[in-house]
Amino acid sequence: MDLGPLPQLVVSGILTGLLFALISVGLTLIFGVMDVVNFAHGEFLMLAMYLTFGLALVGLNPIFALPFVALAAFVLGAIVYRLLIRRLLDGPPSTVVFGTFGLLVFLQGAAQYFFTSDYRSVPNPPFQGTLHLGNVALGEAQLIAGLGALVMTALVFAFVEFTEPGRALRALSEDRVAAQLMGIDVQRMNALAFGLGTACVGAAGALLMLTYPAFPRVGTEFALTAFVVVALGGFGSVQGALLGAILVGLVEVLGGFYISPALKLIPVYALYLVVVLLRPQGLLGRR
Amino acid sequence: MNAAAPFLEVRGLSKRFGSLRALDGINLDVPHGGLTALIGPNGAGKTTAFNCISGALRPSEGSIRFEGHEIAGAPYHRVARLGVVRTYQVVQPFAEMTVLDAVTVGALLHHPRVSEARAFAGETIEALGLGSKRDTIARSLTIADKKRLELARALATEPQLLLLDEVMAGLTPTECAAAVELLRGLVAREITIVMVEHVMEVLMPLADHVVVLATGKIIFDGKPRDAVNDPAVIDAYLGRP
Amino acid sequence: MTPRSHGLALGIVVVALAALALGYHNAFVLNLVFVGLIYAVLGQSWNWISGYAGQISFGHALFFGCGAYASALFGVHHGSPWLALPAGALVAAALALAVGFPCFGLRGHYFSIATIAVAAIAEIAVNNIGALGKANGFEMPILAPSLASLQFDDKGQYVLMALVLFAIAQIGTITLERSRLGYYLRAIRANQEAAASVGVDARAAKLATFAAGAALAALAGSLYAQQTLYVGPEDTLALPISIAIALVGVVGGLSTVWGPALGALVYVALARYGGAVLGGQGHGLDLLLYGGLILVIVSWRPDGLAGIGGSIRRFVRRRSAETPA
Ligand SMILES: Nc1ncnc2c1ncn2[C@@H]1O[C@H](COP(=O)(O)OP(=O)(O)OP(=O)(O)O)[C@@H](O)[C@H]1O
Ligand SMILES: [Mg+2]
Repeated sequence: MDLGPLPQLVVSGILTGLLFALISVGLTLIFGVMDVVNFAHGEFLMLAMYLTFGLALVGLNPIFALPFVALAAFVLGAIVYRLLIRRLLDGPPSTVVFGTFGLLVFLQGAAQYFFTSDYRSVPNPPFQGTLHLGNVALGEAQLIAGLGALVMTALVFAFVEFTEPGRALRALSEDRVAAQLMGIDVQRMNALAFGLGTACVGAAGALLMLTYPAFPRVGTEFALTAFVVVALGGFGSVQGALLGAILVGLVEVLGGFYISPALKLIPVYALYLVVVLLRPQGLLGRR
Repeated sequence: MNAAAPFLEVRGLSKRFGSLRALDGINLDVPHGGLTALIGPNGAGKTTAFNCISGALRPSEGSIRFEGHEIAGAPYHRVARLGVVRTYQVVQPFAEMTVLDAVTVGALLHHPRVSEARAFAGETIEALGLGSKRDTIARSLTIADKKRLELARALATEPQLLLLDEVMAGLTPTECAAAVELLRGLVAREITIVMVEHVMEVLMPLADHVVVLATGKIIFDGKPRDAVNDPAVIDAYLGRP
Repeated sequence: MTPRSHGLALGIVVVALAALALGYHNAFVLNLVFVGLIYAVLGQSWNWISGYAGQISFGHALFFGCGAYASALFGVHHGSPWLALPAGALVAAALALAVGFPCFGLRGHYFSIATIAVAAIAEIAVNNIGALGKANGFEMPILAPSLASLQFDDKGQYVLMALVLFAIAQIGTITLERSRLGYYLRAIRANQEAAASVGVDARAAKLATFAAGAALAALAGSLYAQQTLYVGPEDTLALPISIAIALVGVVGGLSTVWGPALGALVYVALARYGGAVLGGQGHGLDLLLYGGLILVIVSWRPDGLAGIGGSIRRFVRRRSAETPA
């Protein structure tokens, strides 16, 4: 049986989905622990991409830059939590929404002002070869970005599942009051979660620079998808985010091919609407 | 009112939460007028029964007829419009609203004009002794006043059947006595009351009728003086851990 | 504030801006005033559903776009612009009902993201439908200036039209606050369950509010199109427009009569005027300042600028109370 371009599309969809997964896991982690939807998540991605670009200018391969970028993002995330988010948590729920929106506008404006609106790509990008597996042809860069995202997502997952601080984070997202009674330092854990969530987009930003240019609004594109992914999977559910990301990656690539590239996001949004109208808590979310 | 149809008639009402049977096929008749006491140990299913009758929860099985209308599973607000209104055991005030505004929300049900609704809400608040607090934000009331607000909001809808879930819990003896007078007044105004309360001394002299619920089943249905001597009732109360 | 003092404030604003529109012929300034009024109306229409009813929408540009496209279509097909106004408003209200009916069952963020999804689908669709002009949009034909053609050669006339709409939005809000629906919305926002327990039909109340707000936003869109005579997806339907509307609503203060107007003032002063003065849009400094200001307001005054007004009033009252007579 000839499947035509289907295997190629499925592989490509999964690789795209893995990058979405890394971005979305960061978002859902933050939400799970402190009930905050960080609308500036994509702007951290954008900053990470610029940092990777800067390091590439001095000759660092994005893959080697990744640990530095992720670490820098972690620190930035923790600082933003301490300086801003913590203050917003005391207000009504809409405060956080608009606070992170303000951050989005601010960071985008800053990027436009300091870096201009030009598209910046890594000079002499590495991994330009193409791999052939049967009749599936894969760009090395795309493959490495996807697998890198898989490794990073697995690391985050392992951290949350198997380490002591990870357990504390999970305890917080399951029952905040009980966790507090058990003596968990909520402020510290919130800062950790915000740093970790931001580190996810830090790593994703480095990987993305293998195949994608940096520009001030690049974050919005990816963050929008990440919101849909996270809501689709169920807010706060890491497994849900993984599942949602792969689904969205597949739907986007398949829709782009079989319907039209210009319309590729319509099936993604339609999928979201259908799922939440049938299951208001998302695929794997708790009620 | 259709004379042939009983006032409130519950048949085979069940509510399951997962494997837990909170209500297990209860039958209940509440006549028009008077006060029915619904009692039973903690976790017996009293609040769940109120949730089902008032429309807050959809029953798993069974029928609930109010003045001949089937209301099992009907939308919450529709049941309230028919005249069945409840108060919450754990108070649910409109935290950011003033007492007068919160009670006005109830009064608007039968007084579509805001000015009339506010006037009626003011009278209701006055009658419940909350008059001095009419402009206080609900969040900052004491628990006893919150309970009173809860009652005022329900009364302002001019209900026919009022379901009161532990409105007296936490009141001082003086406050209880005042509440009892108030309830007698409501009964005199032909509002039918079903009341959940743990304070027996208060309840028994008031009640025309007692229903005892234990682990989701009705184990007694009759006159107050018979309830205290009923072996099943004694067992349910004394037998609990 | 009582309805009377709201009315007085509205009267002063309308008279002052009308005087400006008739007496001051600086096109640049009048254009800013026009855009400010349009955004004040949009912010108010958003405030109804997202402030008073507490359902935060990030897809409000959809309704703005309904009005703008209605005007564009009537324009290029030689219909009367006065018919475009009700047509756009009706379509917007119908869309709001169609979206709201299923989506008001969703909680919090799930609803907000659903509004993004619906607006994004509409934007992508418009970008690909020939009859709706695709990405290029429509250039509307220029007609002889008159009230009938709703085209004017003087910018001040557009300001006057926008003022009428602004007054409608403000009077609508003042009325809403004191109406049965206003009480119901506040109750729903505070505790939807408890509201239902005393007979409030939450879904109906939200739907009515959403539809009315959508119609108002569409009227603003129509008027906007009549002034720019160009309508395209980028500047009517896109997500950044939805976000700009929401920010106007929140900067000034949610669920207040004057919040959206204050928010629009800040938006126009910083993002539009600032952008023009600081070297054109796209430069970024305007966004940087606007974003920074939002951060300052949100972290120090979660209730927005109107909240600051309230604090000042209380402060003044306390001071005057302390002053011995
Ligand atoms: N929403 C719910 N989900 C799951 N279980 C519930 C729910 N509501 C009640 N229950 C369970 O149903 C049983 C009956 O509860 P209910 O609140 O009706 O008891 P009650 O008679 O009102 O008790 P109390 O006197 O303590 O108020 C309890 O075991 C309770 O834990
Ligand atoms: Mg109970």
